Amino acid sequence: MKVFYSSPWVPVEWIEAHGLQPRGVWFAEDFGCGALSLSAGVCAFSEAVLRFAEMHHDSAVIFTTACDQMRRSFDAFAGSQPDRAFLFNLPATWQSPVALRIFRTEVERLGRFLQAHGGRAPATEDLAQIIERRSQARKQLLELAPRCSSRQYAETIARFHWDGSVRVPDHPPAPASRAIPLAIVGGPLTASQWGLLDLIEAAGARIVLNATESGERSLLPAFRLENVSDDPLGAVARGYCENCVDVFQRPNTRLYSWLGERLTARGVRGIVLWVHTGCDLWRAEAQTVRETFRLPVLLLEADAVPGGSPRETGRLQAFVETFK
Amino acid sequence: MNIAPRKLSLAEWDDRYAQLTRAGLKEPAYGGPLRRHIARESDLRLQHLHFDNSPAALRLWNFLLTENERLHQARAGGDKIVGTMKDLGTVPVMAYSLPGVRAFYPDGAWWTPCLMECSDHLLQQAEALGIDASFCPVRAMLPAFLNGEHFPRPDLLICSTGAVCDDFSAIAQRLETLGHSILWWEMPRRRQPDPGEVSCALPGNLFAPQVQVDWVREELQRVAQSLGELAGQPLDDQMLADGIQKANEVRRRLQALRTTVYSAPGAPLPALEMLVAEMLAIHFCSDRGETVAVLGELLAEAEKRVQQKQFIIGADAVRIFWVNPVADLRAMNLLEDWGGRVCGSDYMFTHALDLIPESLPPLEALARTALADPMVGSTTERAARIVRECRDFRAEAVVVSRIPGASHCAREGAIIREAVQKALGLPTIELEIPPVCDAMLLTLGSRVQALIETARARRKS
Repeated sequence: MKVFYSSPWVPVEWIEAHGLQPRGVWFAEDFGCGALSLSAGVCAFSEAVLRFAEMHHDSAVIFTTACDQMRRSFDAFAGSQPDRAFLFNLPATWQSPVALRIFRTEVERLGRFLQAHGGRAPATEDLAQIIERRSQARKQLLELAPRCSSRQYAETIARFHWDGSVRVPDHPPAPASRAIPLAIVGGPLTASQWGLLDLIEAAGARIVLNATESGERSLLPAFRLENVSDDPLGAVARGYCENCVDVFQRPNTRLYSWLGERLTARGVRGIVLWVHTGCDLWRAEAQTVRETFRLPVLLLEADAVPGGSPRETGRLQAFVETFK
Repeated sequence: MNIAPRKLSLAEWDDRYAQLTRAGLKEPAYGGPLRRHIARESDLRLQHLHFDNSPAALRLWNFLLTENERLHQARAGGDKIVGTMKDLGTVPVMAYSLPGVRAFYPDGAWWTPCLMECSDHLLQQAEALGIDASFCPVRAMLPAFLNGEHFPRPDLLICSTGAVCDDFSAIAQRLETLGHSILWWEMPRRRQPDPGEVSCALPGNLFAPQVQVDWVREELQRVAQSLGELAGQPLDDQMLADGIQKANEVRRRLQALRTTVYSAPGAPLPALEMLVAEMLAIHFCSDRGETVAVLGELLAEAEKRVQQKQFIIGADAVRIFWVNPVADLRAMNLLEDWGGRVCGSDYMFTHALDLIPESLPPLEALARTALADPMVGSTTERAARIVRECRDFRAEAVVVSRIPGASHCAREGAIIREAVQKALGLPTIELEIPPVCDAMLLTLGSRVQALIETARARRKS
């Protein structure tokens, strides 16, 4: 059975160890396609997850509490189909012991949900192997970053979230030496939105850091595996809880540390802030991102229509031109 | 002298105040004519509101409108000031359990643009700080913190996070980034206990897994420790138990007031004064003892009017259940002008109206109360309480009032309206009310009147 998940902080190792297939929604061809009937203020991503869940009758869908919009999309979905939806409570705090306990309890609860949907009880050895394999894959993906075009890289990561595989692009293009190094930071960037990355490259820039929710930021560093045989569930919970880097965390200093290191190391000259309509969490960070990194920031609002609008293209081109 | 209940404009209140003074009106230290708040605080909106004509209402308004002044006085008198954010009702119970500590909600600044008719430019200043009109009017809090022209800068800032509104969480994070350190505590998203899980009863006929209550209790223990450090003495169980008893005194009075007003055939008090009175529950408007007195007077006035069958809104008005607080206070006046009356409410803090269990260890009781917050659970559960109260108070229609830009409003209205229609078949509408709604009067009026006409038509059928 397929188990679709909508946040990279849902422990896929745990799903896989139950013998089920975790599928990150970002790669799905039928995700976010077509016009969505959005009412005022509804986030297009949360609406797309809701519609996607409704379409896939034979699958389970995992929502998270990362934002108000996703919590309430879950409410809307669970109202009609409560049995195949799961709301994973991601703690916003991370500096107190309660956060880890919440995470651990949610992993346990997810296990019960998965078993109710045909999953088997996970064997410790299987879980350890899966953790090891996925850690290796993430490491390989992290190393790939400088060797792919930004679109190839986004696609490769999304494929990993889809089926756990790493497919190294056959002919990675040589990076244009004079292209302006930019970072893209923000919420989820789905398959139907990858055209944005082409637009950026066509404008004369290249994305050297994809810090969207579905980009490099979603690649957890390797877990500590010392206690995996004694406490496999704890290893999973710790691995995610200690390495989650996202805008909903309070305080969100981990996000800024993570970004700061990479922006400096990669010589980033400007930031494209990718914000979904109705996403307060990312929109509120625009000024802090400017002030903290002292880099030009272009706020691009994701809309429900795939591809770039002429206005979006024009803004991007002008943004890149300012660096030349 | 028995004066019939009536709503007065500010100018009419000038005369009424003079008359009451001549008759020997006794007022607390913060008393005085309402008009002075225009000169002192630029509360220009008062000129466009209509107020109940009782001395009890005068005391209520003066209490509300002097809060910042009283907080500054308390600071000058050596009290410690705690800014508590988002949880709406729980942390203040803890803070007021300690001597010399006062807690208030900076969130309350969301009404400042309304009261000052945007003459304060707080919303524009918020935009300059990166928080634009796509956020809820609570963004006024951000510049109010920085310019220090409204409430005093708190000695300690506490904010619940997790299953809370994104607007608020994002604005509070921005505040911290700008140098105001915050003690964050986790509020998990309340859920139903799974089969086999230990279940725990919460106020408001709700249930949650005991493990969630344990987490919240542990988080509140951290909060208690910080409050104790601020006060210079630990916040022990006895102090907390006393604090809970006193908070419950406020809640009992409010419950009695709501029952008296909302179940009466006509409305003995206007919707606007009831909205303000309900708001007192969340942090006692920075003075717990005075809150008890203010509510006591209002309750006595309401009971007297019911007994004498003197109503400020007649029995013919359509009984409306109102969901969410309004950014513009005038909206509550307008509803009554258009033929409705409020007969029940969910202003997003129903957990602050329910009694805190006194038979439990105090932190456990507070954890259960905090977790009963309607905004941290599913909208379906919130809707279930709304349905129950619509039934209890014989509502004829429901208004879901959207808060501009608020993340929870994007979806909750549809879920609540569907639940109400399914369970009760009542007509419902959703409205969006900005901080100053004058420019939208035609639209709002036509929508509310359509609802009222529909409800009236149902009476005949």
